[in-house]
Amino acid sequence: MLTFIGLGLYDEQSITVEGREALRSADRAFAEFYTSKLIGTTVDALSKHHGVDVEVRDRAGVEQDADEILDAAEEGETVFLTAGDTMISTTHVDLRLRAHERGIETEIVHGVTAQSAASGLTGLQNYRFGKATTLPFPYAHGADGTPQSVIDTIEDNRERGLHTLVYLDIKVGYERAGVDAADEYMTADFAAREFARDWDEDALGVVVARAGSPEPVVAADRLSALSEREFGDPLQMLIVPAELHDLEAEALEAFGEAPADVIEDNLY
Amino acid sequence: MGRRKKIVQECEKLMDKPEQIRNIAIAAHVDHGKTTLSDNLLAGAGMISDATAGQQLAMDTKEDEQERGITIDAANVSMTHEWEDENHLINLIDTPGHVDFGGDVTRAMRAVDGALVVVDAVEGAMPQTETVLRQALREGVKPALFINKVDRLINELQEGPQEMQERLLDVITDVNELIRGMTEEKDYDWTVSVDEGTVAFGSALYKWGVSIPSMEETGISFGDIIDMEESGNRDELHDRTPLSDVVLDMVAEHFPDPLDAQPRRVPTIWRGDAESELAEQMRLVDDEGEVVFMSTDISMDPHAGEIATGRLFSGTLEKGQELYVSGTAGKNRIQSVGIFMGDSREEVSRVPAGNIAAVTGLRDAIAGSTVSSVEMTPFESIEHISEPVITKSVEATNMDDLPKLIQTLQQVAKEDPTIRVEINEDTGEHLISGQGELHLEVITQRIRDNQGIPVHTGEPIVVYREQPQEKSREVEGVSPNRHNKFYITAEPMDQDIVDSIKLGEVAMDMPELERREALQEAGMDKDTSQNVEHIFGTNILIDDTKGIQHLNETMELVIEGLEEALDDGPLAAEPVQGTLLRLHDARLHEDTIHRGPAQVIPAVREAVHRSLIDANIKLLEPIQNVRIDVASDYMGSASGEIQGRRGRVDDMYQEGDLMVIEGIAPVEEMIGFSSDIRSATEGRASWNTENAGFRVLSDSLQRDKIMEIRERKGMKLELSPAIDYI
Repeated sequence: MLTFIGLGLYDEQSITVEGREALRSADRAFAEFYTSKLIGTTVDALSKHHGVDVEVRDRAGVEQDADEILDAAEEGETVFLTAGDTMISTTHVDLRLRAHERGIETEIVHGVTAQSAASGLTGLQNYRFGKATTLPFPYAHGADGTPQSVIDTIEDNRERGLHTLVYLDIKVGYERAGVDAADEYMTADFAAREFARDWDEDALGVVVARAGSPEPVVAADRLSALSEREFGDPLQMLIVPAELHDLEAEALEAFGEAPADVIEDNLY
Repeated sequence: MGRRKKIVQECEKLMDKPEQIRNIAIAAHVDHGKTTLSDNLLAGAGMISDATAGQQLAMDTKEDEQERGITIDAANVSMTHEWEDENHLINLIDTPGHVDFGGDVTRAMRAVDGALVVVDAVEGAMPQTETVLRQALREGVKPALFINKVDRLINELQEGPQEMQERLLDVITDVNELIRGMTEEKDYDWTVSVDEGTVAFGSALYKWGVSIPSMEETGISFGDIIDMEESGNRDELHDRTPLSDVVLDMVAEHFPDPLDAQPRRVPTIWRGDAESELAEQMRLVDDEGEVVFMSTDISMDPHAGEIATGRLFSGTLEKGQELYVSGTAGKNRIQSVGIFMGDSREEVSRVPAGNIAAVTGLRDAIAGSTVSSVEMTPFESIEHISEPVITKSVEATNMDDLPKLIQTLQQVAKEDPTIRVEINEDTGEHLISGQGELHLEVITQRIRDNQGIPVHTGEPIVVYREQPQEKSREVEGVSPNRHNKFYITAEPMDQDIVDSIKLGEVAMDMPELERREALQEAGMDKDTSQNVEHIFGTNILIDDTKGIQHLNETMELVIEGLEEALDDGPLAAEPVQGTLLRLHDARLHEDTIHRGPAQVIPAVREAVHRSLIDANIKLLEPIQNVRIDVASDYMGSASGEIQGRRGRVDDMYQEGDLMVIEGIAPVEEMIGFSSDIRSATEGRASWNTENAGFRVLSDSLQRDKIMEIRERKGMKLELSPAIDYI
């Protein structure tokens, strides 16, 4: 049996009770933190808290050498953990399909995902989100500047009156020329700077930092203004809203300290 | 004021008169006497003593050149010569003749407008004669002929006037046949002619020379020459008809000045807009135009640093100018400009268009860079036909020298683009690849002696290639996350297209329309030529997909994966050549992050390798043309030396009192040939080799050779099941 468990947004407390029970009764627990990460805890603390030995796998260990995980799942109760939800932006459907091909039963325990925090913390309605996208670090994609597909996604969404959730790139142990392997997290001010330069500096943006932590930050302003601020520790994301519904506007003013003139410009 | 200083001043005065400038190169088969001829010219100009000319080899300025008795680098010198009461500035480049250093010759030709081709009267036109002629004519450089060592005809072969003239005519006929063959498509006749005075004869060793115009002037006949040579009156011969005057007169009279040459040469070597002001300035040799300089040589001076030598096509070079260097960002500031006087460089205040200049401060320039005051289409890359065929590993004996060695190797690659350097910082074992054993030996010796870095080198290893033999089926490459898929086929490419790429007639940096036309001319069908996405080595990627979303911004990564796959072929991680790859279809993940480098590169690499395997990829080895001149008694043992090396003898014929054996043999087997042939013929053979491309290794050797290479490289010794048939 292979159970996919979402760990939620922030630390070892963010898992659901159902997930916690499944994790604690597992024979083996694998995890990957290259797609996202629990910023408020460490693997050791997580292991200790739940009394299990969490075995972390890198990208190759999941994508190329999945057999170890699948072998374990064939033999006993095995869980596979990611931050957030295992199937939303982390796209682990491939691993589930491979298990299915080998006749291994699978189960999913949902976790709280960034998508739900994006609506929850900002007041932007989840019905009005369009396609999500990720902004990669400039060195990690082939094109110059902001990839056109990212800008296209935002513009297509806005044309249809839809908000865009922009995930910000995470690189775990990423090696590149001249830089030692390190973990890197894109910050929202960096992303705002990229968009302000390559797209529209006057457009409204909403930063959500450290969702799921005791002190999450929400900040709404023009991209040019956001690009000059700092939002502290990771993880962060950036929402580019379409024109705002009245209640959405009110929520951004109340919870994101949006300047009145900016909100004015973005109303229906 | 010293004589030298005077010449420099004289040169400076003439620089501004393009009609009185001649930029020339001396080129020939190895040992036919180029450098000795150069010495004569220098002595004639008063730059070295008359007595030592011929022994001094002033142009062989590096110690190893004087030791080995051959020229290794192209060397530059400027001199003046009076002809028809007008002083002329002659910028001369002496080039190496040994086949291993052909890259230097090609680059030198870019800088000059005339090539003085030297041929040994006894040996006649040899393989390298043909090569240097081709290099000159391809660059639009006009040839003239000097037949050297005529004294040997008289003294060694005891030939009379009649025999001698016949032999000289034979040489001229041979050379003209080569020129005619190479200029068929041109509208000018550049064959050389005794009557017109584009041929001179003489002895560089004994410093005399004649041509029809000079014979008319001095009244010296062939009979007189034979008399004076036989009676040992060579000094008189030199006094009455000095070689330098005869040759320099020929240079001044028959070689084009920059005003004549540049309008013809610029369209041959530059693909920019012919209608532009810049093109006009280059055609007119406009010293007030934008600076357009092509560096043809980079050398290292312990005091001044890197010196870029090359041809200034327009504008005026001055200290302090900030210039663009093609292929790099930002500008370089000129620290000094100068001209070459043999072994030293003389700084001058400015060098105007039409001259060969030596510039310091261009730290980003490599041999072949276009350097200019405005951003411009760079000159055609200087194509040298030979690819590296031999590799040697170089390791610093002391670990402390490692950073210095890496720096030196990078410098070496900058100076000589026919050298390829692979730096491996993990193992410390770096690889240098070049044109032959001697080429690499010279480079490593220079690292040892000039840089004082003790190194040890591995045995020379032959460079192999991989190439598919038939068309593959469409194969799939899947990314590790399985969200991205690429569908690719591979097939061998027509040799005509491969040749066009090698000759630089087809390149990615040329305007698309021109590239399409050139490809169609080489035989590619119209649709395919319109979809060319990338050229890598002699391989082409065709994008046959239609309207796939996000493929555009993924293409850079596709190309990265393709290049990785082609650099390390599927058989033995040797470079893949002559392959046409088609991308037929692709499936991409919606979000950039799931189609990043970690996904796309391995997927494409897998697709390329699988297509190559399905296309029946084989290992290719480099081969050489071999020519041996040997006394007939030793013919058997000499031809045995070719046959015993998996070689093939194609032709044997008599030439004079010698037998000539021509054939081909694999480069690998030719390692150590020089000592073997010497002992097999008791030193009575002279031979010449020339790299002749790559050939499929025979089937019976494929598997063993592949395994041998894989073992050397520390690769797995199991082949993937799909190619395990080999």
